[in-house]
Amino acid sequence: MSATNIVLGVIGFDCHSVGNKILEAWFTESGFKVTNLGVMVSQEEFIAAAIETDAKAILVSSLYGHGEIDCAGLREKCIEKGLEDLLLYVGGNLVVGKTPFPQVEEKFLKMGYDRVFGPDCSLEKVSEMLKADIAAKAR
Amino acid sequence: MSSSKLSIEKFNEIRQEILQTWPTGHGLSLEEGIAYQKAIPEAKNFAVAMRKASQAGKTLLQPRAGVALIQDHIKLLQYLENEGEADLLPTTIDAYTRQNRYQEAAVGIEKSLQARTSLLNGFPAVNHGLTGCRQVTEAVKSPIQVRHGTPDARLLAEITLAGGFTSYEGGGISYNIPYTKKVPLQKSIDDWKYVDRLVGIYEENGIHINREPFGPLTGTLVPPFVSHVVAIIEGILALRQGVKSITLGYGQGGNLFQDVAALISLKNLAHEFFAREGFKDYELTTVFHQWMGGFPEDEAKAFGVISWGAAVAVLAGADKVIVKSPHEAMGIPTKEANAQGLRCTRQAVSMLRDQKFPIGSEHRVEIEQIEKEVRSIMEAVYRLGNGDIEAGIVAAFEAGVMDVPFAPSVYNHGKILPMRDNNGFIRVFNKGNLALSDDIMAYHREKLEERAKAEGRNVCFQMVTDDIYAISKGALVGRPR
Repeated sequence: MSATNIVLGVIGFDCHSVGNKILEAWFTESGFKVTNLGVMVSQEEFIAAAIETDAKAILVSSLYGHGEIDCAGLREKCIEKGLEDLLLYVGGNLVVGKTPFPQVEEKFLKMGYDRVFGPDCSLEKVSEMLKADIAAKAR
Repeated sequence: MSSSKLSIEKFNEIRQEILQTWPTGHGLSLEEGIAYQKAIPEAKNFAVAMRKASQAGKTLLQPRAGVALIQDHIKLLQYLENEGEADLLPTTIDAYTRQNRYQEAAVGIEKSLQARTSLLNGFPAVNHGLTGCRQVTEAVKSPIQVRHGTPDARLLAEITLAGGFTSYEGGGISYNIPYTKKVPLQKSIDDWKYVDRLVGIYEENGIHINREPFGPLTGTLVPPFVSHVVAIIEGILALRQGVKSITLGYGQGGNLFQDVAALISLKNLAHEFFAREGFKDYELTTVFHQWMGGFPEDEAKAFGVISWGAAVAVLAGADKVIVKSPHEAMGIPTKEANAQGLRCTRQAVSMLRDQKFPIGSEHRVEIEQIEKEVRSIMEAVYRLGNGDIEAGIVAAFEAGVMDVPFAPSVYNHGKILPMRDNNGFIRVFNKGNLALSDDIMAYHREKLEERAKAEGRNVCFQMVTDDIYAISKGALVGRPR
């Protein structure tokens, strides 16, 4: 079986580049074919890359606090483009100010993201979940 | 554009253009700004505060802080001044403004009003304009600085300096390479020439404005020589435009000896290269940034990182320390957490102030090493620019002769890989095209082999990843699990 394509990037006007480079190395090593769009990626760029590579998931990062503004509407745009089954993961420091994680998670699940992660999530678990979620969608 | 002083004609031509880029810039008068600055009491002047601290051997404390709305921002700053006992205040600018996206910043202000909390990660000073800035600077007692990350900061500088801020962070390299993706280096250097010339014009009119190139760059395993080269070159570029008060910065690496050596060598090397460029008339001070990488989530552990950074700032003789908060792992702190970081730092700084820490042989070895590395890169930069530092640094980044680790810019080579040695010093594992001699690299390699041997593994990329997350997981060196 050929490797599953995923799209990775830091959304909005966020230029946090260190974690992005680590994620690229991690998911590549975990067997995914990663299209890494780097930092400062618009919703349109994420979607265009997902269509172009026939990706099964978009992994959105946001570290600088504007996640709430930048991430809203991505699910709707995916549906408009016919990408109903595309998995959307989001992670990082998603809101301004220290907020209990369940509140953050609820907010982003409501926006249409399939999984929401804080800054301290285990990458092993994320790639396991991603593999399981992709397999479930394929059924 | 040549690397000489920007002519007044060219300056005015650019000025007319950039003031048109957002309504708050329309009709802004430089003369009125100068007159306004003249009325600001000396006790609130940032350049004066830095000079006095340096003369008295004091380390001043400054937090980072900024929110979307004017009144909330004022409350935040007053809290940090009163409850946090900050010596110097910041106004951190939001990320939309940093990319000149004033329309998005306007939406952020609107949404923050609706949500009754800041949805922006800083103060959108351009949108709030001259009046908004003056409301802020007039509401506080301490000197106040603009802190941001803006590749094209010309309009922001015009508005904030006329708005009463007396210090301006950034530079054409340090606010490009770590802060954006696609801005050519020559473009940001040219745009910062304008900012420095603006500061020069204030200076020529008797108003001291402090300038601070951003020291820590990507804040992640940056070897001292890398940030020193950027700091020194931005210092020279600023002096060429008439800047007089310069504060050069360095971000805490984590090893005490390397950090002390870094701050001492930074000052020595800056004087050396400023003199080589023919500059004598300037005031040079230093700033030490508490750990800029990932923080532990446990607030008690975060205080450990903060107080160690505070201690090293004093031991290294920094004139100013930029303070972190116990919320660092989670992003932007509440005002209470921010003040806690300040008070934690204050305690450590005060306890160390009267103690003497003589420079020993361990420091000297590292000072010499850093000096050798900086001179090696600087000579390559001069060579590439045929003697001109500005043309040289642009060519050096293009060729990877100068390289910043983990930076987002496509104009950065991005081949350098740093990691810690067995004692936590930051060394170079892969130099890419950096202009470092075999002799220098042999030293780094030897130090890294020591660690590899101690850990029973080969020197490898995994060590870099382990080091990046080590402090947030409770240690300095990323040892194998």
